[in-house]
This record gives sequence, structure tokens and C-alpha cells, in this order.
Amino acid sequence: MAAPMELRCWEGDWGLPSVHPESLTVMAYAKFSGAPLTVNTISRSWKAPKGDIPVLISEDKVISQPAKILNFLRKQKYNADYELSAKQGADTLAYIALLEEKLLPALLHTFWIEAENYCSVTKPWFASRIAFPLSLYLPGKMSREALNRILLTKGGPPLYSLTEVEAQIYRDAKECLNLLSKRLGTSQFFFGDTPTTLDAFVFGFLAPVYKVCFPRVQLQEHLKQLPNLCRFCDDILTCYFRLSVSGHSPAGQDTADANLQKLTQLVDKESNLIEKVTFASVSNYSAFCGYLFTDILAWQLQLYNGLCFFSTELHCVERQEEYYITWKE
Amino acid sequence: MSLVAEAFVTQLAAAEPWPENAALYQQLKDEQILLSDNASSLAVQAFLQMCNLPIRVVCRANAEYMSPSGKVPFIHVGNQVVSELGPIVQFVKAKGHSLSDGLDEVQKAEMKAYMELVNNMLLTAELYLQWCDDVTVEEITHPRYGSPYPWPLNRILSYQKQWEVKRKMKAIGWAGKTLEQVLEDVDQCCQALSQRLGTQPYFFNKQPTELDALVFGHLFTILTTQLITDELSEKVKNYSNLTAFCRRIEQQYFEVHDKDSSAIAARSAKRSLLR
Repeated sequence: MAAPMELRCWEGDWGLPSVHPESLTVMAYAKFSGAPLTVNTISRSWKAPKGDIPVLISEDKVISQPAKILNFLRKQKYNADYELSAKQGADTLAYIALLEEKLLPALLHTFWIEAENYCSVTKPWFASRIAFPLSLYLPGKMSREALNRILLTKGGPPLYSLTEVEAQIYRDAKECLNLLSKRLGTSQFFFGDTPTTLDAFVFGFLAPVYKVCFPRVQLQEHLKQLPNLCRFCDDILTCYFRLSVSGHSPAGQDTADANLQKLTQLVDKESNLIEKVTFASVSNYSAFCGYLFTDILAWQLQLYNGLCFFSTELHCVERQEEYYITWKE
Repeated sequence: MSLVAEAFVTQLAAAEPWPENAALYQQLKDEQILLSDNASSLAVQAFLQMCNLPIRVVCRANAEYMSPSGKVPFIHVGNQVVSELGPIVQFVKAKGHSLSDGLDEVQKAEMKAYMELVNNMLLTAELYLQWCDDVTVEEITHPRYGSPYPWPLNRILSYQKQWEVKRKMKAIGWAGKTLEQVLEDVDQCCQALSQRLGTQPYFFNKQPTELDALVFGHLFTILTTQLITDELSEKVKNYSNLTAFCRRIEQQYFEVHDKDSSAIAARSAKRSLLR
């Protein structure tokens, strides 16, 4: 138990101890359970990051994925889930699966695939932390792996183009954020007053979305409208990582509920787009199809204009431009 | 474009009631269908039985190619075709039948999380076992998958499918796992489901939901399918409340509604494999 443990992971920036979701999860869990880890960030050295990051090195054991690292820490008696009931332990596994299936693709997309984000923020940041010849190759490889993962898991028919896949994964991610916000409610952590594994995973996935400053930020804007999740991230950063957070005053509870309701409605409406438009006048199927496909852009612009009334900070405006640009092409 | 198409389908779905001749398509039951597809198909059948919607099962060798998303099962209702449990649940909801209306918001979030857990762990483990474990692939999967087709098409199709599945496993990080690790993951998942179920009849107490249908589909198939070894079904049998759950749903929804003797014969043939 007194064996020194070293964690190698990516560095932090923008007020976070690390910008990599998995590294952040492990660091948060270590803080919650009181495990003494020495954190060594990957800097411009020749000790190239082989294999998955984060990596825990303890005596002669090298352990690489977050789930395995957490299991190892638990075996070393650093257990943050000690007080959970069996059902809560089961809930933890279920919510972690939800995060990996619904939120992770959108997170990977925001960091690695969205062209503006990747070229202006992610690639320079990672390249500056890797030694010279590798810095030309490794960020590109990480981006290709992320794209591969998204296309293989989410990209089958009936979604045939990358824009459709992107629309679907962002919709899923926003729904996931809404679900997490509902589950968290007003309590400080997910299972009462002490943080557990689930809090570590949620923090690890949410904090990069919340803090990193990207040019294209639809997920961050959605997250900022869920004040209990923002408060959750800020609390962990101030209490467990002793990092000061910039002044962000969350709205009151009523506004929070109202926001959450609006957001849920919005995500539902995005899935049932044409409910707002009346079908009653068109009875003939083929005439309807003709109308649908020739005037589709006008409908969508009209609809998004209508939806804009529901929120001021809405990504739909951005989407409007996107559709306009596709039309132009 | 796809958002518009989806909404259009929803609108059409809401317009008509459930017809009598709705059909569910899957691969050939005795020679071709594999563990994971059988589980998904059974889950959809269980869900429709729970909603009291009549459906007849049609077995076709090319079901996978007929499906709009490439995955079985798919249902053909009126003039619409919907595949996979998630979209089918939404489609049925648009028609006015829903099993999860009585749940509050937090319970709905839990239900979605548990469904993702089953898809993430159980389904991926089934795919791993049948496409990445060499012994199972040689003896069971390759012969079954291509059985309706002549040589060399049967080998080509099954190698192609195996390559696709292996690519996906590599992308999500399961390629490096050994069979023992996969079985351990299955055990963890079953433990979580067992702890969540506890002593209740269904996951959300009195009424079954789509989560019950999904869990039943996967667990029943694992319990009743004969593979090279029994390790997978042993993992599930360790949890007595899960086996009791499967038996209860089978008795309530599949023996009462099933008047067709051939279906019952098929099921009892399957059950005789259960040692």
C-alpha cells in the first residue's frame, strides 16, 4: 500500500488539471479516494507516449485504461464507493455506459473532428506537448482514430453522410446532458454528499466540454444552460483541485428548472421537427413528397426561426448557416 | 434531411392504427441466425407482446440486407419498415402505445442508462464471442452465417462480416481483451442487473418496460443457446433472480399468447439444450 504510484497523463490548461477526459477521470478519483499519486505530465521529452494515456505505473505494473486503473486503486484500498449500496453500484455502471455511448462521440467530435476546433486549438496544443518528430504525426493519428471510432459505432445506414452522423451524435449528447442534469437534481454529488466513481467519470467527461475555449461550441452552450452540472464541475475544481474558477454565477433554481424544461422540449422538438408545420392541407402522398423535397430549405429556415424564440443562445442559428452553406454548395 | 424524414415518418405512423398483418423479419431460425441477432429479435418480440400488439415472425435468409439499417430484426407495419429496438419503441410510441409513460423523469433516465449498459456490455460481449473467438468462429459462426448460400459465397460473406466486426472491436478498444476479460465484463453486467432487479418482478416494479424486454431477450438467448462451452450461460445462471425473471416473462408472454404449436416446439427444442 505504500508503493509509490505514478500517473502519466496529459497536462492541464484553461483552469483544468488535465484536458484529456480519461486522465481527468483518474485524477478526480484519486482525489476523492485519497490515493497518493504523483502526476507526471507528458512534456516535450523523448519518453514518447506509447499506448493509451493515462498510464499508472506502480512498482513494476503498468496499467492503462481508466476502468482498470480504478480497479487497481480499489484493490489497494483506495475506495471511493465504500458507502454505496448494491443498487447504487449498479446505477454507476449503467450511467458510465450511458456516458460512453452518448456523450463520448460528441466530445471526440468537438475536440478532434470539428475542423475549426481541431486546427486552431487541439492540434497546436497537443503538438506543443509532444517531442518534435512525433508532434507532426501523433495529433493527426489521434484525430483519425476518433473519426474512425465515431463512424464505425454511429455511422451505419440510414445515416449516410458525416453531417447526418454529426447531427445525430450532438442530439444524443444533449439528451445525455439533460438526463444527467435530471439525475443530479439539487444534490451536491450523484449519490449524496460524498463523491464516488460516477462523479469522477461525469466530471472527467464534462469538465473539458465546460472549460476548454473552442471556436465552435454548441455542446458547451448547451451545458452552460444546465446550471447544476456547471456548479458540480466548479465545486469539484475548487474543493478537490484547489483551482480557482472564473466568476460564473449560476441562475436560481426556478430558472434552472425552466431552462431544463425548455432544453428537453428543444431536443424533443428537434426529433419531431415537422409537428409544428401542418400536414392537413396536403392529402396526396406524391404531391407531398414533391413539396417536401423542393421547398425543404424554406421550411427548415422558417422552423429554426420559430425555434429561436425559445432560447437566445441557440446553436440553431449556427445550424441555419450550415444548411444555407450546404444549399449553396 | 434525416430529421425531416424522421418527423415525416412519425407523422405517418401516428395516422394509422396497428394493422393485423404486421411482420417481424429475422434470419432463418434453425440454421442461420446467430446469438446476438437472436437476442435482439427476441427483445423486440417480447416488447411487442408486452404492448399487446400482434406480430408474426417471418424468417428470411436475406433479412440483414432487407433491413433499412443493416441490422435485424426489423418490422414491416403498414407501408413502413423500422429496424432495431430503439426506433421500434419510438415508432410504437407514435402509434400511441408506450410502456414507460408511468415513469418519472429520473426513472426514465435510469432506464435509458441501463439499456445502454446492456447494449454496451452484453451485446458487445456476444459479438466478441461469436466473431473474435477463433474456436467459436470456426465451429459455429462461419457454418451458420453463410449456410443459405453456396460455396464460395458463404465463406466470403462470413469473412467480410468478421472483418467488419473486428474493425469495430478495435475502434472501441475491445480487440485487446481476452475471452476471460470479456466473460468478467459479462459477469459485472449481470451483477449490476441482478442488483438493480433485486426481488421485484420487473425492473420498475409492477409494470414491464422496454428495459425488461431487452434484458429478457439477451439473457434468455444466452441461457438457451448451445455454444462450444457453457461459460457464458454459467455467468448468467449464477444469479438466480435473473433466471427467475426470464422464466417469468417467458411464461407470461410467450406461452399464453403463443397458440402456434410450431413456435412452442421450437422453443422446447431450444430449452432441451439447457442443461
